[in-house]
Amino acid sequence: MSSLLLKTLTKKEEIDRIIRDTIDEVLVLRFGRCTDTVCLQHDDILAKSVTDVSKFAKVALVDVDSEDVQVYVKYFDITWFPSTVFFFNAHHMKLDSGTADHTKWVGAFHIKQDFIDVVEVIYRGAMKGKMIVQCPVPPERIPKYNLLYKDV
Amino acid sequence: MKKPSKKREIEYCKVCRLHHDHGSRHKYFPRHKDLLSTFLDRFRTKIADVRFFLKNPSVLRPQEQSQNRVWCVFCDEDIVELGSSFACSKAINHFASSDHLKNIKQFLSKNGPAMDCIDDFRISEAGVAKWEKKCQSLGNEDASSFKGSCGQLSGTSNDIHNNLAFKTMDKIENVPAQLINSHHSSDVLPLQYNTNKYQISHSELPGVAHYGSYLNMDSSHLPLHTDPPSNLPGNGFGKHVIPSRSKDYPSNQDQERKQIKGSYSSPGEVGMTSISSSHSNDACGNVHSGAPPPWLDANDGNSSNVQLNQSDMSSSFQAKIPGKTRKLNPNRVGAAWAEKRKIEIEMEKRGQTMNSKVDADWLPNFGRVWQSGTRKESRKEFEKEKRKLVKTESISTESEPVKIQPYISKRARRETGENGSG
Repeated sequence: MSSLLLKTLTKKEEIDRIIRDTIDEVLVLRFGRCTDTVCLQHDDILAKSVTDVSKFAKVALVDVDSEDVQVYVKYFDITWFPSTVFFFNAHHMKLDSGTADHTKWVGAFHIKQDFIDVVEVIYRGAMKGKMIVQCPVPPERIPKYNLLYKDV
Repeated sequence: MKKPSKKREIEYCKVCRLHHDHGSRHKYFPRHKDLLSTFLDRFRTKIADVRFFLKNPSVLRPQEQSQNRVWCVFCDEDIVELGSSFACSKAINHFASSDHLKNIKQFLSKNGPAMDCIDDFRISEAGVAKWEKKCQSLGNEDASSFKGSCGQLSGTSNDIHNNLAFKTMDKIENVPAQLINSHHSSDVLPLQYNTNKYQISHSELPGVAHYGSYLNMDSSHLPLHTDPPSNLPGNGFGKHVIPSRSKDYPSNQDQERKQIKGSYSSPGEVGMTSISSSHSNDACGNVHSGAPPPWLDANDGNSSNVQLNQSDMSSSFQAKIPGKTRKLNPNRVGAAWAEKRKIEIEMEKRGQTMNSKVDADWLPNFGRVWQSGTRKESRKEFEKEKRKLVKTESISTESEPVKIQPYISKRARRETGENGSG
């Protein structure tokens, strides 16, 4: 259902195009599989919130199983699915949510409002020139995970 | 060495309408200066209106007294012309007073600019003296016809509740018929009595029944003893008298009936009068014609006679969009890149074929997880890793597949070689 509302990207060119064409808006890229349950939950929240944030953000899904996209999977150090990466004017925005990885949001959002708050905070920070922002989601709703360094 | 900043008290700036702790530096801030000039210009227009009445004194009608009011920004008080017979008389006296002058000086010293514009905001005593002379000459002409009615009518216009209402009703009898007729039939008439549910519920006779039943309810308050309402039977009075609506008593009942019919709205609606259409038939236009609102034009100082066409509106909307981007923070993330990209997109739209083919190896600006250092370094590292990967892959594809064969000893090889040659 959410794939009908949100664009699914399967090629590097498409990802490049969307990054380059999103100007003065936050670009939310979800890396995941549409068959995974956590991804489905995450996609549902994204699809419901896309109209609310449409004035200052764009959302797109990236299918991680596509070969073309593996460059980005490696470049963005994606090891957990779903992972959400935020961009503003082709610059990557970091989010300090208290976890080990500040470069992306790992896992699904619990409620729509959390996602909207995160995007808003990123937008405000980006407009002020900040490349890393503090996550507004309370710690109990932030998914926990272990980050492995080179499979260690 | 930085000096430790003093902790200043938080003050409220009337001009900027915000709280600040800048102290006395605040009045030199450019934003404050801009807001101050608009603030003072607005007050100057108000004073200009008052100065007009200073030069051309005119009589102030009682029903317009409450509308004729000025807010003095220096003294923070509202000057209402209640009880004054000439337009802006209280305002003129206020602007000439010494208290007002003191307040102007205080304001200017606190908010700047220089004191040379004091005279813009006050009226000189000589001017007031001239005005008073003119008023006197005017007053002598109209004194007899006006003074009496002004006092009475102002009393009725202010009083809503019962007690004073029926006291003045006696006086109103004496009001000459001219004044009654001069009142516009569609003026908003003050409520003489408390409104009541019964007014709405009884609907036998369209207009009059309301008042009839109403009078029943409030009979204790009403002066049924006084002469004019003595023809009211109490319950089922006919269409003869319609007292409550008029502030002037039914000395001319037919005239009033006509007046009231004109202003009376449908049964069930209490206290509603229609506004005369003369106000709405201005050349300025209104909401429906798409004219600009008066408060926007007031700031420009122009009269609101401009009628915007649809094309103008659309062009103003279009103008808004580039205006919006111009206001975006130039320090925002990726601002330079965004501006460049917008120009590229515009040129592509116009048809100028740019090198739109993006390099296949293009990567966005990204700070990697296990990377310390700048984002450029992280990209370089990634590209190095990529090259290594490519090399190892190419090496593996270039080398021939190794054929596994059983071991043949030297002697066996020699023997096979001799047998072959021999």
